[in-house]
Amino acid sequence: MDVAETLRLSGRAIRAHKLRSALTVLGILIGIAAVVTFVTFGASLQADVVGQISETSANNIYLVAAEDDEGFAGAGRPVFTEEDVSTFAGVEGVERVVPRGILSVSAISYGNDTVARTQATATTPAAFASTPFVAGEPFELGREEVVLNRLAAQSFESNATVGDTVALTLGGGRTRNLTVVGVVNGSAGELPFDAFGSQARVYVPTDPLYNTVVESPSAGAPQRVYPQVTVVADPAETGAVRERVEEVFPETDAAQLVPDGFELIAQTSGDFADQVEEIVSQLTRFVTGIAVIALVVGAVGIANIMLVSVTERTREIGIMKAVGARNREVMGLFLTEAVLLGVLGAALGVPVGVLGGWAATQYAEISLTLAPGWFAIAVVVGVVVGAVAGLYPAWRAARVDPIEALRYE
Amino acid sequence: MLSSRSERVEGFQTTITTTTPTPDNPTPKSTSHNTPSRRTIHARPAVNPGIVTDGAQTAGETGDAVVALTDVEKRYERTADITVEALRGVTLSLPEGSYTAVMGPSGSGKSTLLNLVGGLDTPTAGSVAIAGTELSGLSEPERARVRGEEIGFVFQTFNLMPRLTAAENVAFPLVFRGVDRTERMERARELLADVGLADRTDHRPNELSGGQRQRVAIARALAGDPALVLADEPTGNVDTETGDRVMSVLDGVNDAGNTILLVTHERRIAEHADRIVHLRDGRIQEIEVVEKGEDVEDSEDAEDAAIDGSDGGD
Repeated sequence: MDVAETLRLSGRAIRAHKLRSALTVLGILIGIAAVVTFVTFGASLQADVVGQISETSANNIYLVAAEDDEGFAGAGRPVFTEEDVSTFAGVEGVERVVPRGILSVSAISYGNDTVARTQATATTPAAFASTPFVAGEPFELGREEVVLNRLAAQSFESNATVGDTVALTLGGGRTRNLTVVGVVNGSAGELPFDAFGSQARVYVPTDPLYNTVVESPSAGAPQRVYPQVTVVADPAETGAVRERVEEVFPETDAAQLVPDGFELIAQTSGDFADQVEEIVSQLTRFVTGIAVIALVVGAVGIANIMLVSVTERTREIGIMKAVGARNREVMGLFLTEAVLLGVLGAALGVPVGVLGGWAATQYAEISLTLAPGWFAIAVVVGVVVGAVAGLYPAWRAARVDPIEALRYE
Repeated sequence: MLSSRSERVEGFQTTITTTTPTPDNPTPKSTSHNTPSRRTIHARPAVNPGIVTDGAQTAGETGDAVVALTDVEKRYERTADITVEALRGVTLSLPEGSYTAVMGPSGSGKSTLLNLVGGLDTPTAGSVAIAGTELSGLSEPERARVRGEEIGFVFQTFNLMPRLTAAENVAFPLVFRGVDRTERMERARELLADVGLADRTDHRPNELSGGQRQRVAIARALAGDPALVLADEPTGNVDTETGDRVMSVLDGVNDAGNTILLVTHERRIAEHADRIVHLRDGRIQEIEVVEKGEDVEDSEDAEDAAIDGSDGGD
């Protein structure tokens, strides 16, 4: 029995019950479309986030004290002293070292307008070395100055600009009047993701505003201590620099200050990219897994409809056998029908899924990245789902006793 | 318009070996039926049913036996205790070009015999050979091949594929023999023309009358150029008039040299055959030879009816 005739017969059987076939195909379509949607969205998200990381701050090495095996999740313990900042600055290949501390802030006022805030970032002018300024320049250490990012500057009724004075209400109710010296875009390199900088940020000089201090074990005197330090490396040897930084960890105050269960870690943007990829792909896999359930339901639909079809067409099977069809030809015919349903669902599901993925990326305001490999997989899955779902019904069809079948009403 | 019998059958097989049966030892039998003349060649005792005498086997025909049943038994085990003996030793031979009818009450084993001869079933004991091929030793796929190549089925309920056109139905057996579509459809159109349905080739079965459907089925039975045409109550689902037309088409098929085995419970229909095998309780009770002398006129009438039917669409 040639392929063309098999396809013709199967196609006609499918067309004979248009609504029924359409609903069966719809089941597979939904499954495939759901998978493709989530895969497309995942790929887009990943490409978007990773793209941002690599283009902005590939040579940044982020140092924190984090809970074991938790990555940056447990970060936040202030362990890096001024002494350590100098130590890191002395490592070969390090261009600059930027310490960052968190300053508790309850509010920030400009003129008569007061905006509640929870924190400001205390850092050094080096933090702004590669940051584009909208206006003004970095603050200087030892002065009552402040740098805002654009969102923070715009959070007041009238925009704060360079030269204006803002009042920062610190924890404990004390107020400091600071002069705005610069307005920047983004997050000033604080995080490897510019996208996450799309919130208001306030930067103040560590001296005189940051007062979290500790007795430095190596210097024997009280020093400022920071929860996070960014080491900016020579872009040509970021990886090597990170290894050298890790080598000096044992000599630092941080190594002594770090609490039990915590460890010092150094991560590059690349590591972040990997982590983000990992998280996004895990998320994608999880959601795709749920979508696969829809596909399984679709497969059950095919199996169900094929079983009904075999029963309905018992007499036809009898005729086929009477005119010389062998069991495997009968089986092939029904299997082809099931596979056709699956392929049809997959072929329609892919464009619908891409459309869904596009809608999701539009909603999330990221650019669409297609994962064409998955389209091929979707079609293969359609074939496999159809074949698996059709196998048992087709086997039943092949086993029909022609004598009984020809008598079947 | 088909004008003569010889033209009508041109498309059928060319071997024509129909000769008048001349049994060796005619045994007179009380004729309670008012039928055209017939002679009984055997009223064999039930105690020894398996043996058919030489007279029956050759039955005056020439050529090899297309079907040879030898001591065929078929038992169905319904449960551990109940066994149905459907056939209890049947020996029967259908010579090439012969036209045989099988009659018998329900339960006599007609259907079982048909299934065995058609290669749909295998005997419990004995041998069934179709065109020289012993069926008992064959696997299911091999039997399917024999069905496709050597048997043409005509069923009471037509059994056409509902979604195929008349021509596609006729061509259907050839699908499983690897004949390409163009050739298949060509052959189908020829055969449909032969049964007077040249103008119905693209109609679906549900667009055809019962008589037309049965003629499509007959054309389908002939598509594979089979050794044997098996007709199971071919007139059972059509009215008498239409049945006559169907039978005249079958007669034409036999006239063209095809071997036919006809199963029926209607005496009138059975008499289209050259001989009638009477089955009872799984045994051949008698084999009766039909004399066709007085039959001719009726037959011609039926012929005309068929041609009219094909024109008018019955």
